[in-house]
Amino acid sequence: MSKEKILAGLDAGHVNTKVIIMRGQEILGYCTVPTGFDVVAAAQTALNDASDNVGISHGELGGIVATGIFRDMTKVPPLNVTSTVPEYVADAKGALFLNKNSRTVIDIGGNIQKAIRYDQNGNLLDVNQNDKCADGLGIFYTTIAKAIGLSEQEMSELALKSTNNLFIAIQCAVSAESEAIDLMCQGRDIADVADAILRFIVERVADMCTSMSLTKEIVVAGGLAKSQALIKHLSSLMKQDVSALDIPEYVGAIGAVISYEGGK
Amino acid sequence: MMKKGSKAIIEYFRHITENTHEYAKSLQGKGQLLAGYMCTHVPEEILYAAGIIPVRILSSHVSQAMTRSYLHETYCSFSHDCAYQGLQHNYDYLDLLVMSSSCLHMSEAFNVWVRFAGFQQKSFLIPYPHIIQTKPAGGFLVESFGEFKQFIEKFAKKSITDDDLERAIKVYNQNRRLLKRLWEFLRRDNPPITGLEIATVTLASQVMDKQECNQMLEQLIQRLEAEPGKAPSGVRLMLTGGACDDLRIFDLIEHLNYSTNLIFIDSCTAARYFWFEMPEDRPDKLEAIAEGYIGRIPCPAKDNVPGTGEKKRFRFIQQFIEDFKPDGVVFFYQRFCSPQPHDIVALKPILNKLGIPSTELELDTTVPITRFGTQLEALVEIIERVAP
Amino acid sequence: MNEYSSVNKQLDWRRAKVIVAGVDSGAVSSKAVILLDGQPYAFSQVRTRTPKESAFSAINAALAKTHLGLQDIHYIVATGCGRAQVPFTHKTISEIACSAAGAVHIWGPTVRTVLDAGGQSCKVIHCTEKGRVTAFLWNDKCAEGIGRSMEVFADLAKKEVTEIGNIALQSDQFPKISDFCVVYARSEALDLIRSKVPLEQVIAAYHYAMAKRISTLVARLGVKKDFVIIGGLAKNPGIIDWLESILLVSSLAPKPEWDPTLTVTLGAALFADAFYRRQQYNISAPNTAGKP
Repeated sequence: MSKEKILAGLDAGHVNTKVIIMRGQEILGYCTVPTGFDVVAAAQTALNDASDNVGISHGELGGIVATGIFRDMTKVPPLNVTSTVPEYVADAKGALFLNKNSRTVIDIGGNIQKAIRYDQNGNLLDVNQNDKCADGLGIFYTTIAKAIGLSEQEMSELALKSTNNLFIAIQCAVSAESEAIDLMCQGRDIADVADAILRFIVERVADMCTSMSLTKEIVVAGGLAKSQALIKHLSSLMKQDVSALDIPEYVGAIGAVISYEGGK
Repeated sequence: MMKKGSKAIIEYFRHITENTHEYAKSLQGKGQLLAGYMCTHVPEEILYAAGIIPVRILSSHVSQAMTRSYLHETYCSFSHDCAYQGLQHNYDYLDLLVMSSSCLHMSEAFNVWVRFAGFQQKSFLIPYPHIIQTKPAGGFLVESFGEFKQFIEKFAKKSITDDDLERAIKVYNQNRRLLKRLWEFLRRDNPPITGLEIATVTLASQVMDKQECNQMLEQLIQRLEAEPGKAPSGVRLMLTGGACDDLRIFDLIEHLNYSTNLIFIDSCTAARYFWFEMPEDRPDKLEAIAEGYIGRIPCPAKDNVPGTGEKKRFRFIQQFIEDFKPDGVVFFYQRFCSPQPHDIVALKPILNKLGIPSTELELDTTVPITRFGTQLEALVEIIERVAP
Repeated sequence: MNEYSSVNKQLDWRRAKVIVAGVDSGAVSSKAVILLDGQPYAFSQVRTRTPKESAFSAINAALAKTHLGLQDIHYIVATGCGRAQVPFTHKTISEIACSAAGAVHIWGPTVRTVLDAGGQSCKVIHCTEKGRVTAFLWNDKCAEGIGRSMEVFADLAKKEVTEIGNIALQSDQFPKISDFCVVYARSEALDLIRSKVPLEQVIAAYHYAMAKRISTLVARLGVKKDFVIIGGLAKNPGIIDWLESILLVSSLAPKPEWDPTLTVTLGAALFADAFYRRQQYNISAPNTAGKP
């Protein structure tokens, strides 16, 4: 086992850059760094920090596969990226790795959401991406949590304590933010507002899935998958069981590793 | 029937607005056929003449995004909501769905019902001219209504006589007169009924059997004429704009941090629905009906006097301002509506000349109370000349 | 957003005849301004948690170094979106009216148009020389959140929100991005990054798009000089410069002694002062009572 190469998957996303380091099937370590409009710097930092976490140096990585919307920008010498793989492919393979029974992954990213259906080998069957007006749900969640003065985790946990069904606009993240703040100004309970925010996100995610037939098991990737309230509302709205993947932000990065040299 | 006070009658109407399906199904239980209609360009008289009760499709005010797979993102929320209700099978009990071609968003909502909500075999689209203020438009509409009448006769399995049509015209005209009398109470300085209450009654009338509605209206007006007025009027605010069936908006206008009264609503879910009369006792009934619909206050989507760029609607608005004397005007329209905001651009200079301040509310399924409340209070502060 | 408070130690509240306060309960921050006989005495800004809680925090922060108590204040006016939640006020006034009142006080009676370019929304206001509002326009919903998006944009660019405005002005040439809404603009900015457009140009493109968006709002109501800009975006030279060049109207320079984000709060305090004096006037001269 220790003779197997140590590989890194680099997911260069709009908002966050994620790196995971694996040896064979074993996950050794991972790290997330804000992309901050400087893709190469973020990738460098993420690779270094992840390698540090594992106790190796960047140079000891046997191979680095990049995915994510900014993957093409990572093909510069200092990063030593071996190959790239499209994010839909990486998501499918990553999801399958984390849950062998999954056949559909809904990836709620920082700026974009995707729904991807695949077969038992991770081959793509159908993909869909959000409407333009639904861009930025991830960023929105981070921003509104900050504005309210809570961490994202606190906001998700608070949402579970909601007792009133409040509604905010579903047109886009900007309208939702305005109306969430409007509710706060009306003196509404923060737990109810937090829950309304999550239900808005779920409405936009679910609407992306309406024109696609989803095959069980349906799993959710991306940072927001860690919110129990989100998973609960998504299941309820789509009238299907959905479950969060472990370390859901790293699904793409894991899939990138698995795609190394066209490996399974 | 037990004598009811005005409050109880208003409550009855309000109950119908919140339980439309229950009310409609009760009519069906009595053996009535029901036809849903979107937009007010549908000639209800022809349906009524065949013994069919027209029921307007109004919003459910549900915040949802699933219709974005059926209608474009940037269609108004009213059309999305109507489409949603069809897809949710809330109106499956309807025997028929009728639409006259009106604005793009509502026309597509109708198409959603036809294509995806099971109304393919029980729907009818009436071709309705857009540029209605032309000679050919009248003839076109009469022909269209003629084809519709034939369809209804086949559908209802009975022929519609001239007497049937005249009876329907008179019932509907009576309804219009009664609603008008109700709204006229708001011309007073201290009316015995609020704008919100009248708006509620008007909304209910759009889904009711007009004969029953007329009876209730007569009783209500009788009671009100005997009642003393409420507190003296505060700042008088008039609404003008597009479809709005959200009573929360009207409630907000009457419960600001200042004393305000909602004194008129120029919208197709309020005054424009009934502020006209169909010619009675004419030999050609379809011509009379067409004349009535063409002559009434036009929807902005159909208001375009050829060659002049003039809007017929504005004359009516100016008359309402003269009659109801608002201190301020609140424009309201569905977010993403095109025709309504276009009218506002041309209406504002008229209001400026009349020295009447205004503000604009963009409607959606949700109501941002502090934002709208602030806009409305700022409008009142202009009217009251609030300054340090 | 910094929390702060300050007191003008040269004034003594014990000698003042009229002590009033304005509180602006905003979406992100709550502010308070205290006037002694119409003179600015103390200010504060705190983060908004809940409107009620933060209004107390703001007024207490302003009072903190003064030994003045809430009960010593003769009249308090609250404004801002959370004003209805503030329990210790005598009256509430919309931020529209407060903007005009504050602006005319700060810049003088030549002011006729105020643009309040805040975090959540933009409002254009026409007023008289006395600071009385004659017309206003609130941004349409698709133009919402421009100020807030600038903060998010600065975060993404890993720059301070105070520096990106200057960076924006450094580029003469830059690509055009959507000037319809912040969601589209941000997504297109990310696309520019992907196309390896230099960061400075992306920042410039975003600023231009936002300035363009605000300019259509201003143009819809019309600009009458003198024109002033208040709110958070008043501190962003990238927005201001482009806005002025698009509108072909220049705005009056900000006054060094007044933070543009305090204009509305000041307006509320001025209203408090006026209302209190009218109240006193009515009491002492009942025959001449009535609206001045």
